Amino acid sequence: MKPAPFDYFRPATVGEAAAALSSSDSAKVLAGGQSLIPSMNFRLSQPSLLVDIRGAAGLDVLEAGPDGVTIGAAVTQSRVKDSEAVYSAVPGLRRALRFVGHLQIRNRGTVCGSLAHADPAAELPALAMAAGARLTIRGPAGERTADADGFYLGPYWTGLEPSEIITGVFFPAEPPGTVTTVDEIARRSGDFAVAGLAASFAVEGGAVAGARLVGFGVNGRPNRLAAAESAVRGFRTGAVEKDLYEAAYEDAADAVEDVHADSEYRREALGALLVRAARAAVSGGAGMEG
Amino acid sequence: MTAQTTQINPMIRHRAGHIGRAVPRREDFSPLTGRQRYTADLKLPGMLEAAFVRSPEAHALIRSIDPAPALALPGVHAVFTAADLADVGSFPHTIQYIRPVGQRPLAEDRVRYVGSPYAAVVADDRYIAEDAAALVSASTEFEPLPSVADLDQALAENAPRLYDDWPDNRLVDFPAENPEVTRAFAEADRTFTETYVSQRQTGLPLECRGVVADVVDGQLTVWSSTQSPHIVRSTLAMMLGVPEPQVRVIHPAIGGGFGTKTHQYPEDIVMAWIARRIGRPVRWIEDRFEHLVSAVHARDQRHDVEAAYDDDGTIRAVRCIAYCDVGSGEIFMPGTAPVFVTAGCITGGYDFPNMEVRPVCVVTNKTPSGAYRGFGVPEGMFVMERIIDRVARLTGTDRVEIRRRMILQEDQMPYIMHGGGKVDSGSHAKGFERAVELIEVSRRAAEERYAGDPDVRVGVGYTNYVEPTTPTYHLTTGHWAGYDSATVRVDPDGKVRAALGNTELGQGAVTTAAQLVAEALGVDPDDVTVVMGDTDRSPYGLGAWGSRGAVVMTGSILMASDRVLAKAREIAAHMLEAAEADVVITDGAFHVAGSGAPAVSWAKVATAAWVRTVDMPPGMEPGLEMSGYFEPPDLEHLPGADGKVNAAATWANGAHAGVVSVRLSTGEIRIEDYAVVHDCGTMINPMIIDGQVHGAVAQGVAGAMYEHFQYDPDTAQPRFASFMEYLYPTCSEVPEMTVEHFETPAPEQPLGVKGCGEGGTIGPPAVVAGAVSDALADLGVEITASPVTPSAVRRAIREAAGRSAAS
Repeated sequence: MKPAPFDYFRPATVGEAAAALSSSDSAKVLAGGQSLIPSMNFRLSQPSLLVDIRGAAGLDVLEAGPDGVTIGAAVTQSRVKDSEAVYSAVPGLRRALRFVGHLQIRNRGTVCGSLAHADPAAELPALAMAAGARLTIRGPAGERTADADGFYLGPYWTGLEPSEIITGVFFPAEPPGTVTTVDEIARRSGDFAVAGLAASFAVEGGAVAGARLVGFGVNGRPNRLAAAESAVRGFRTGAVEKDLYEAAYEDAADAVEDVHADSEYRREALGALLVRAARAAVSGGAGMEG
Repeated sequence: MTAQTTQINPMIRHRAGHIGRAVPRREDFSPLTGRQRYTADLKLPGMLEAAFVRSPEAHALIRSIDPAPALALPGVHAVFTAADLADVGSFPHTIQYIRPVGQRPLAEDRVRYVGSPYAAVVADDRYIAEDAAALVSASTEFEPLPSVADLDQALAENAPRLYDDWPDNRLVDFPAENPEVTRAFAEADRTFTETYVSQRQTGLPLECRGVVADVVDGQLTVWSSTQSPHIVRSTLAMMLGVPEPQVRVIHPAIGGGFGTKTHQYPEDIVMAWIARRIGRPVRWIEDRFEHLVSAVHARDQRHDVEAAYDDDGTIRAVRCIAYCDVGSGEIFMPGTAPVFVTAGCITGGYDFPNMEVRPVCVVTNKTPSGAYRGFGVPEGMFVMERIIDRVARLTGTDRVEIRRRMILQEDQMPYIMHGGGKVDSGSHAKGFERAVELIEVSRRAAEERYAGDPDVRVGVGYTNYVEPTTPTYHLTTGHWAGYDSATVRVDPDGKVRAALGNTELGQGAVTTAAQLVAEALGVDPDDVTVVMGDTDRSPYGLGAWGSRGAVVMTGSILMASDRVLAKAREIAAHMLEAAEADVVITDGAFHVAGSGAPAVSWAKVATAAWVRTVDMPPGMEPGLEMSGYFEPPDLEHLPGADGKVNAAATWANGAHAGVVSVRLSTGEIRIEDYAVVHDCGTMINPMIIDGQVHGAVAQGVAGAMYEHFQYDPDTAQPRFASFMEYLYPTCSEVPEMTVEHFETPAPEQPLGVKGCGEGGTIGPPAVVAGAVSDALADLGVEITASPVTPSAVRRAIREAAGRSAAS
């Protein structure tokens, strides 16, 4: 459990970081290191160069305003979770972060690191998709932005090029009537999800007018749940829940089997999570803070 | 606390009040403040670092190993393979009724599980050693063989065999026949068959294994994270051909053992061999990945059960084949013993003579299995309680009532179990009643809590077990047996040093020993220094396993202390110019009974014995140090002609009961409350005993709901590499629990003490499976396997629905 040899570089600017990443075939960005370092210790990942961006100017920005929340690449999950200003603008972030690891992990782990790592069972990529977050990406050709929705291609696989860095993410403020929830089933407190749901409901007059629903931990990447998004429209307290359950169950038809659960379990769990979330959304968000 | 009056054994003469007292643990300060020195903290001048090269193949022949690329790496000193260790023999084959596996310290021409060590690399540091190990691995040519991943594959006709000279994959198949059982089956109203499974787990000490070896002036010193340093020393001497006095084994502070560190591992042998070969100190510190694939696994049993019962809920007889998947079997001591303990203890705290168990150990291409806290008892209790619940359900009998009818009563003591276990005493019936009383309150509270949620069901589970403690090691190792030792010395300043063959792993043996010495000599526990875990400083003993420490320390410390005391009184009487019979000890000093004359202190007596020998009685041998080697009474080491054996000196007992809530939609389980009513006889330190129960219940919960080594059925490759896949319960998952005690002294044992280390692990799998089955009874769910996970619960609900739809 010792990593293979590697070089280490701590740039002062994002520009230097981007240049360093381009300089090597197998350079990796180091931020919180909560996934990368274990993977290196197992020698599953053997980068020749680690570019530690925690000292790069401007990446520690955390701004919450009326439009939304901007989170720089060096900002830890704890900082985001603990910020009341962030919670007022985008409550979904705290609701997701309470499931992310444990305190010690969140104290080091970064929001952008989790978005870039793209563990298929991670909470933050799914939330970013459901909440309509936009990523800011710096590469050799300059800066670009990308919607989180569409960014996730497979397990640990995103639209990020090898020499690109996610420098920040913007979560738009939740408009009035929007209820964003994150819920999951994990084997233990703090584990990655066996099945999880990030959901952003637009609620009007006690009924769901529309929703962006993203399942995670169910298969190889966070996925929009098309059938469920359609089925949940019009849902209100006391409405038939069976259709919701079955729609989510169908959306998860390609659910995976692993040591923690069989695929059928994941499909059932996603159905149950959607029913739970929809109920909470139309009853004013009861029980969403866990 | 519901406790009976403790009966003080006449062996305690002073009644100093140190027995039964929650003396604070002196073991805690160092680890909690980061001052503990573990094997990994040892730094010797010139020390090199080793890494083992482990098989990536489940089953393969080793065609060739090319060490050249690794040797070419700067900082690499040596690469050793089995060919280099030609002068080291195989691990001993000591038990004649099991088949020999011929285990070499490094696999020679064939590997039989992923993780099997077949080469060792020595380098400047562990980083380079791992780089080199990767190169050795890449330059090894394997010829893969068909693998065997589970019991069914291993037992199939024409199954690939792990050992070519065996006719099949059975390491042992022990016949069982009980004519009473046959008769009961013929007479019973009904029968059912079922298969019960306990999954593969491990003890999971916080500290992995580690070995440092050094040779100075021909003297070999080995620091090893082991539960039994003297046994490691004997094994090293035997296998390396070194005179035993030239071997010293030290265990530094140990971060837990749980049975995992009782075995004699190949790494101990290889590291000592390397130190002798290269003439420099060398160390190997196991990492967690290595630990998960190469330290022994455990449990992994399947029971094919046939039960006979009457319509009134009487269980007439049970027949059972107890299969244990022992992995490759390449471990010394062999992994065969736990399933024999399962067979002997499966009836638990119940009067149930009509039991017939046939233990079968089967080899597969998995990590060798062996000891883990509970040592076969949890698997057996799981089966027994599931059978009882099944008969209750089939006959409409109340689950508490059916247990009341069967549970051992005080007037049945001593009760001889079907396999020969002699339960000499206990509080089985009243312990169960108390557990039921406690859990009924919890059940009502849980039912109220979830009254408004139709998705949640509440259920209760029970178990009544016996905990065989202070067992013989002879049936397990084929070599060692059952005693342990103490040497007690009073130094010239009157302070006491006790050196013990037992070892401290975190369980509180040091504090417990100090209390025993203090009680026996009438001194303060703070004046007692306890030495363990160093073969040069402590007398030969077998170490810490089998919940034996309390019993063997009590016996050996009292023996040695009595001898010290007898001599000290003689010296004191001489100094007091009194008759020895008139000399008593009070307040830590010798007095003439009823006299106002000044006392003679322990310091004065000891100074006379060691220094001012002119003050001793004329002609008396100097010194004030005595030893005791205590063989527990009632302990049998070999079966009698009827095949029965009382393999444990004491039999603690306990009743566990738990309430769970189960969420129907997701199968999520929460242990709402948990009650333990425990009886380990006379309690030396109730706080330490509570800690043992808490920790063991946590490990029991691990077995009930979380820990599970899974292998790919097609390739026998492990489906685990870290704690991402192998889940242990954290503080968020371990339930609140109520622990109460009865104290029913063991009539034949000193102070009436029984062991207490393992009982907590026994209950939770049976309790959780029973409680979940109870919660889901109206859906027809019967849990027959552990761990009980949300996925398993949902599967059981689906299958039950399928059955009821089909019928």
